[in-house]
Amino acid sequence: MARKPRRAPPEKPANTKKSIKNILSLLRGYKLKLTLTVICGIISTVFSVISPLLIGFATTAIFDGITSGNMNIEYIVNLLMVVVILYVISAVFSYLQSYLLLDITTDISYNLRMDLIEKITHLSMGDLDVKTRGDILSRITNDVDSLQSGIVQTFNQLLTGVITIVGVSVMMLSINLWMTLATIVLVPIAFFIIIKVTKFSQDYYLKQLEYRGRLNGQIEESFTGHEIIRSFNQEEESMMIFEEENENWYEHEWKSKFFSSLSSPLIHFISNLQYVIISVLGAVLVLQSAISVGDILAFIQYSKNFTTPIEQITRVMNMIQTAMAASERIFEFLEIDIEENPSSEQINEIAEEISFENVNFGYNEDEMIIKDLSFKVKKGEKVAIVGETGAGKTTIVKLLMRFYDLNSGEIKIDGVNINRYDKNSVRSLVGMVLQDTWLFNDTIFNNIRYGKLDATEEEVIAASKEAHADNFIMQSAEGYGMVLNEDTDNISHGQKQLLTIARTILSNKQILVLDEATSSVDTRTEKIIQKAMDKLMKNRTSFIIAHRLSTVRDADKIIVIDDGHIIEQGNHDELMEQKGYYYNTLNSQSSDDIA
Amino acid sequence: MNLTKTLKTIGKLIKPLKKSIIPLFLIFLFLVIDVYCNLTLPSYTADIVDIGIQNTDFNYIISVGTMMMAMVLIGVLSTIGLSYFSSKVSAAYGRDLRKISYDKILKFSNFELNKISRASLITRNTNDVYQIQIFLGLFFTTILFSPILGIGSIIKALELGTNLMWIIAVTFAALIIPFIIIFVKTVPYFSIMQELTDKINQTSREILIGMPVIKAFIRQDYEEERFEETNEDFRSVNLKVFRTLLVLLPGMTLLLNVMIVLILYFGAYDAIRGEILTGTIIAFIQYATQIVMAFLMMGGFLVMTPRILVSGRRVAEVINTEISITDGPIDKIDDNPTIEFKGVTYSFPGSEKEILKDISFKLEKGKTTAIIGGTGSGKSTILNLIPRLQDVSGGEILINDKNIKEYKLSAIRDRISYAPQKAILFEGTIRSNMLIGKADASDEEIKEALNMAEVDFIESLDDEVSQGASNFSGGQKQRLQLARSIIAVRDFYLFDDCFSALDMNTEAKVKGNLKSLSENSSMLIVSQRISTIMDADEIIVLDEGRIIDKGSHDYLSENCNIYREIVSSQIEQSKEFLYDGGESSNFIIDTDYIRKTSGGK
Repeated sequence: MARKPRRAPPEKPANTKKSIKNILSLLRGYKLKLTLTVICGIISTVFSVISPLLIGFATTAIFDGITSGNMNIEYIVNLLMVVVILYVISAVFSYLQSYLLLDITTDISYNLRMDLIEKITHLSMGDLDVKTRGDILSRITNDVDSLQSGIVQTFNQLLTGVITIVGVSVMMLSINLWMTLATIVLVPIAFFIIIKVTKFSQDYYLKQLEYRGRLNGQIEESFTGHEIIRSFNQEEESMMIFEEENENWYEHEWKSKFFSSLSSPLIHFISNLQYVIISVLGAVLVLQSAISVGDILAFIQYSKNFTTPIEQITRVMNMIQTAMAASERIFEFLEIDIEENPSSEQINEIAEEISFENVNFGYNEDEMIIKDLSFKVKKGEKVAIVGETGAGKTTIVKLLMRFYDLNSGEIKIDGVNINRYDKNSVRSLVGMVLQDTWLFNDTIFNNIRYGKLDATEEEVIAASKEAHADNFIMQSAEGYGMVLNEDTDNISHGQKQLLTIARTILSNKQILVLDEATSSVDTRTEKIIQKAMDKLMKNRTSFIIAHRLSTVRDADKIIVIDDGHIIEQGNHDELMEQKGYYYNTLNSQSSDDIA
Repeated sequence: MNLTKTLKTIGKLIKPLKKSIIPLFLIFLFLVIDVYCNLTLPSYTADIVDIGIQNTDFNYIISVGTMMMAMVLIGVLSTIGLSYFSSKVSAAYGRDLRKISYDKILKFSNFELNKISRASLITRNTNDVYQIQIFLGLFFTTILFSPILGIGSIIKALELGTNLMWIIAVTFAALIIPFIIIFVKTVPYFSIMQELTDKINQTSREILIGMPVIKAFIRQDYEEERFEETNEDFRSVNLKVFRTLLVLLPGMTLLLNVMIVLILYFGAYDAIRGEILTGTIIAFIQYATQIVMAFLMMGGFLVMTPRILVSGRRVAEVINTEISITDGPIDKIDDNPTIEFKGVTYSFPGSEKEILKDISFKLEKGKTTAIIGGTGSGKSTILNLIPRLQDVSGGEILINDKNIKEYKLSAIRDRISYAPQKAILFEGTIRSNMLIGKADASDEEIKEALNMAEVDFIESLDDEVSQGASNFSGGQKQRLQLARSIIAVRDFYLFDDCFSALDMNTEAKVKGNLKSLSENSSMLIVSQRISTIMDADEIIVLDEGRIIDKGSHDYLSENCNIYREIVSSQIEQSKEFLYDGGESSNFIIDTDYIRKTSGGK
């Protein structure tokens, strides 16, 4: 409710019935409060609808008083007293209605956001990969917001709108049939016009939205590539492209604005027409003694109460559609099955070895990334996985982590297929240091402690020292209390890497995965990280993924992967002997050295 | 807030409106007509009641009714006219303001770019301009409408000659005080709410990105609790703010209705004394309602203006920025030019810390120069100084012995080809991107450049490049931008660590291909990798902005400690932890072996 989503085109839900059912299921828990809301709405509206009639009576009394010269002031004052009381009651109940509704909807949004986050943390990696981050994030923020305002509008505006229209019709009919007909006859016309104009402007709106997106994209791109534009003398060309997009947007933007702004003068026109009809027809009817003068004033007020809700209802209709589309997206996400974890059998340690046996895997059925892969790692060994980008190195460790299920083959720990264990217990054996350091917006202390939530301060500092992170941490004034900012870019990449190593040291896992951990830091930092990683790897079974040969040379076993296959394996010396891929790559890495 | 400053900002921003003087006049005219038509209606009603009904004059009622009809029609026509012109003027204004600021930003140097930041410039050129544009449309149709309606209504109400004007004043005061109190109470919470919305976004994003780590550490519950905290804060602030704000609407409606009751009550006493007629009371009620509504609307817009002023100031800042790097008088550079750095220092304007200190070296035809050093050593800054993306703080850069500032920017840049660290391509096709490097390149020339850069992953020159070139990997982007930078024959090629995402094999191939280029031009290569720069004619070792030493690979391997350190970390790395001393000799022997087999190169 904080930031209203920008007026987006009303999206249509694909399955109206289902999304209504879903929204109702959300409301089910609030039956009592909702009933109270509706009752408050009815009381508030009914009381406010009666008042103009009484005001009309008072006006008639004044008119009669003027005409007859004998003003019944006591009667008028009594009427006005009642009117004030009615208005006060109406205002109180109107506030109660919105108050209750706010309570209900804030609660619903809160729960939906919790459900969404819980879903995210329990989805399998495969299901998460399918959706883009932006898409999921917009479900948590924008969609939950639109759903909330959709529900609020439905119960506020739609409910009161409908009650008002019914109430006002009844009141008007009680005064005079012909006046009522003359007023109401314009309503369907107004309705029709609004729908037509909205539809028409909608097309322009969508088009301008597209052109606006293109223009913004162009601007973003050229500011990002500012150096290129300048150093290649492309200023004029860039200006030309910009002006073309800018002009395109302008053409569609002003038309969209114009057509969408038309509905308000048209509604205004209709309500002014009503005003004229009421004044003239009312006067004629007064002359014929069919109604009294005060009824004209009452009608003027009623007619205003009539067009406003209609305007509101058409607007709300669009919002409701958006809300339903939003609920559809939310529920679609909530309905995805969470990661299966059928076994509760725990594995606590690795005794002998990890083996991959004829493993086949692809993110899509028809595109295998890992093909018939087999190898063994003894406990305490260091295995290096080498190969070009996209060869499938990282996928191998993801499979070990059981982030994905194999298409065929088996991964075994001590001869037992890891699928037979609880997923979490398999994962709890493995510690990871990845190229993309993931830290969060909190203190350095809490980021390290993430590896072991119940760690004492001494344990955290000891781990940090072992990871060579203590030095740079103590250099800043806040020390371990230093808060990493939102983009976690107030420390360097290398320092972040040291923190993730400290975190992993603290977690004390038996198996380690080091995935390109030093690839984007400079040489001096790399040395420190290498030292830290070396301590980390001591006495642990480690998988090292790297493209720098220096990192892998001392591994007990080097596996060279190409296109999902193992093309070579052995230790450094054996592979140098083979004069294959490894040898050639090493050659190209150092040939310049010799030149 | 400084008033003259604000007025100046507004003055600057209003400029693009100058050419829309006639439509602006029409907008104002239509607005006045519209308000006038609306205002006459209640007084006509008063006439109908007080004259037509009182005198039972049927014809009078019909003729007044006809007049009212005419007013309604004129009113709607002028509103449509108003909408037409205001949509056009505000959209055109946005277009022109955007163009002015875009044009300005294109001329920015790195200094101005960094001062405001690119992300902010993008927002200013898109969102901020759009906010102002929307505000302008609203200003014409609604904001300007309310004071005119309010003043018109006051005049009309006064014309009625009642004693009841004070009721309007009282109502207004009764409305404005709680209005202000509520706003003062809630406004501070709006920024908190915005922060919490951002925090929800931030935490969700963190969780999404960190899923592999969260799963590995089995921290799902921990993360949910972390999110719940923010979510809970958000809920409680939301409730607090809106529970207060929701008082506004029912409260306002109530006060307006009480005003009507008061008018009737006091009107009745006046009527006894014969000072007022029924129709007049009816009309007065209409005007009074309009006056209060108009001023409330103005209040609402006043709340909006600070936000718009922020956008306005942000855009004005862009337009007012003085550009620090401009053309010199000389527009031609003689053939076979040289570029010489003489005691160059560089520090960010206003900063004490020197990024570069006393840098001297010379680029000339046929010579390849390389710069090596750690992150933050100032390598990229040196490169940026050559095409004058930024200017030196001390010392000078000479082109053919004349200060670089004496040349026209485009003349310098025509001699230079530059490939930055972060490969940037533009939306379009492979061809359109290559033409940036050379506007009249033939398909053959493009293909040749692509081959040289080892671009072997595209199907045709018409392959699409999406925004941010997101359909290519980092290594592919680097190769494409390399092709773009070598397609034209230039005197100077500046490569800023632009091989970093290539694997060793590809890099070696590309470097082989570039050999032919280096014979007729001067090359300057920046890198962190020894293998990239090892065969340069001159290698400059940079550390913390200072040249430690320069010379050939062999010379530096002998004499420069830092260079040796870098070499050892990359090529003969880590004896201390990989092997003990004895075994490390294995590797040395291996390289000897390679030396022999690679053909004595």
